[in-house]
Amino acid sequence: MDIAFTQAHHDFRAEIREWLERHVPKDRLPSLDTAEGFKLHRQWEGVLAKDKWGNVNWPEEYGGRGLDLTHWLIFEEEYYRADAPLRVSQNGIFLLAPTIMEYGTPEQKARFLPPMASGEEIWAQAWSEPGAGSDMAAIRTKAVRDGDHYVINGQKTWSSRAVFADWCFALVRTEEGSERHKGLSKILLPLDSPGLTRRPIAQLDGETGFAELFFDDVRVPAENLLGPEHGGWGVAMATAGFERGLLLRSPARFQEAAARLVRLYRDNKDRLSSGVGEQVLQAWMNAERFCAATYQLIARVQAGASVNSEASANKIFWSEMDRHLHRTAMTIMGAKAELESGLDAIDNGRWLDGYMFSLAGPIYAGTNEIQRNILAERVLGLPRK
Amino acid sequence: MDFRFTQDQQDLIDGAKEFFLGENTVERMRKIASGETVDNLWPQFAKLGFLGLMAPESAGGLEQPLVVMAGVAEAAGYAGLSEPYLEIAGISVPHADEDELSGQIRRAMRSDLRPYFDASLSDDGDAVNSIDPLRNLVKADRGNDDSLDNINHHGAVLTAAQLVGLAHRMVDMSVDYAKDRHQFGKPIGSFQAIKHQLANVLTQIEFTRPMVHLAAIQGGRAVHTAKVAAIDTAMLAAETAIQVHGGMGYTFEVDLHLFMKRAWALCGEWGDRNYHMKKLEETVLHGQEPLGAGTTFS
Ligand SMILES: Cc1cc2nc3c(=O)[nH]c(=O)nc-3n(C[C@H](O)[C@H](O)[C@H](O)COP(=O)(O)OP(=O)(O)OC[C@H]3O[C@@H](n4cnc5c(N)ncnc54)[C@H](O)[C@@H]3O)c2cc1C
Repeated sequence: MDIAFTQAHHDFRAEIREWLERHVPKDRLPSLDTAEGFKLHRQWEGVLAKDKWGNVNWPEEYGGRGLDLTHWLIFEEEYYRADAPLRVSQNGIFLLAPTIMEYGTPEQKARFLPPMASGEEIWAQAWSEPGAGSDMAAIRTKAVRDGDHYVINGQKTWSSRAVFADWCFALVRTEEGSERHKGLSKILLPLDSPGLTRRPIAQLDGETGFAELFFDDVRVPAENLLGPEHGGWGVAMATAGFERGLLLRSPARFQEAAARLVRLYRDNKDRLSSGVGEQVLQAWMNAERFCAATYQLIARVQAGASVNSEASANKIFWSEMDRHLHRTAMTIMGAKAELESGLDAIDNGRWLDGYMFSLAGPIYAGTNEIQRNILAERVLGLPRK
Repeated sequence: MDFRFTQDQQDLIDGAKEFFLGENTVERMRKIASGETVDNLWPQFAKLGFLGLMAPESAGGLEQPLVVMAGVAEAAGYAGLSEPYLEIAGISVPHADEDELSGQIRRAMRSDLRPYFDASLSDDGDAVNSIDPLRNLVKADRGNDDSLDNINHHGAVLTAAQLVGLAHRMVDMSVDYAKDRHQFGKPIGSFQAIKHQLANVLTQIEFTRPMVHLAAIQGGRAVHTAKVAAIDTAMLAAETAIQVHGGMGYTFEVDLHLFMKRAWALCGEWGDRNYHMKKLEETVLHGQEPLGAGTTFS
């Protein structure tokens, strides 16, 4: 076991730290769930990409630096330390890109990865349907082959940032008469395709963070099939592994939140009841544990292991840690917790926003109940029925 | 940066686990608990090199770092090892200077099955009763000597590692039981209420073990976090395990209690939860140490 960073790691850290000091916008950008915020976040992706900071672990030919995942963790640490903008391209770069790298044709890699890296094309995920949430195998949206095209009909929902995004990766039923996990395929398509209607849905905070998508004879070239036809479930599970397991939520995000929580505690200490300090420490310890576990997981992945059902434990841990951390902040803020923004609102309402978003963590990327089923059945081996 | 055991280290730990489980069966544990004489494992510990795991190569040891001993400690916890092996090989041996070393090992070999333990490592004192039927404790003066922080660090890490092993064992026992026991015409393990409780424990274990490894290598505040996390994980495992076992879990006959009671005992050893939380209050809540991203691995 070796936990020393190499000189190259230290140099890399110094380099990205210095770059971020010069480039991170002084004021926090407006929410990426607003039209204006989305535009500014897209521009920021371009700034990152220009100096090749957007995806340090990607191969150089697609706009990355070809570095290993330890470098990516260091990047994330510095990124959150600098309080840099959230990644509006996260569904593309963290979920779709690894899937394209694994299953995509050379043409698909060359076509989709560079504009994803530059922020020119921002991606949304179109899997959930009104009747297929936790039970994703109940997907009914159909794609019927017609010559060298697929014709898609059906409805998707809860598609994050689809109101403003450019492309989506959809999971649809391609095999006529197929059921459950069989006969599904993953198809990539532009969100401004003729026949596709986007209806914004206001989220808990009132912003239009996700959308319903209605497909009415939407034609997509057959070459936009990602992975095997009718084998989309396996492709989707690989993506879900990235989502739950590793890339979507690196420890840095929670460690910075925990450090801010400690400061919030210190600022308010005198009026707090005696148990609050314990909760603050609990939040801080959770973030430390998540960090240690992630470094260990990354070491295993770099040695060739794949992240399978264990990703479920990861997803449960980070989402519940995040909710507990933010609830503790709400407790500390007391009567001011309800203030959305303005001078009286602590940190301009950031904790409240964070608390609201933390409530979604145990739901998206597969609810925590589903993750517990997976752990119990596939890791512990308990009987399904 | 490669935060994994090397293959050699893993082989060593796996070998230890196999040995502990093969020798320290629950039948053996029950015999000890009822006062019967059992085979003395110390000669084997010595022969297989486990006693000298952390001893310098010059003294014939394997000179392994504490983190490897933590892997072995987890295995010892899993197996419910009754001997105070870790106290001797993981704490006493690495803190003895070389001249004393062989004496230490001899002393270890002379030890009978009295898993007495105390920070002073003295085996004289008045006997006290533990709820753990395999623990014979003696009472000795403990003192609060800060110069022993390094030893305390070893003790807390190895105790935390054992707690992880114990938690894991209790989950495994519960899974076996839940597959076997039928109610309402099905295995109780098919009920989500059972599944989800066990999944919760598994999740806590997965996020405690790496913290223990980090604590072993880095020391400092990581030790306090690791010990607190291990205590909380082991207590959750014990409470969940007894619930899954139903009335059977409340009996002396079913083996679960042997591991549960060991967990209770180890929670308080080498600094209880209050001690470690207070240390974190000083350093994290009220101290000057850097916090936030990039401060965990120094
Ligand atoms: C902020 C946010 C962003 C999202 N972004 C996207 C996106 O970009 N693209 C996309 O495709 N989807 C997205 N989703 C959808 C998300 O994946 C689903 O909400 C989720 O899978 C749950 O499905 P559901 O909402 O239909 O809930 P349901 O499946 O109806 O679940 C309701 C409750 O029942 C429980 N439940 C259901 N089945 C079981 C079971 N077998 N055992 C135990 N409990 C069960 C659930 O755990 C939950 O508590 C997003 C959701 C949110 C909140």
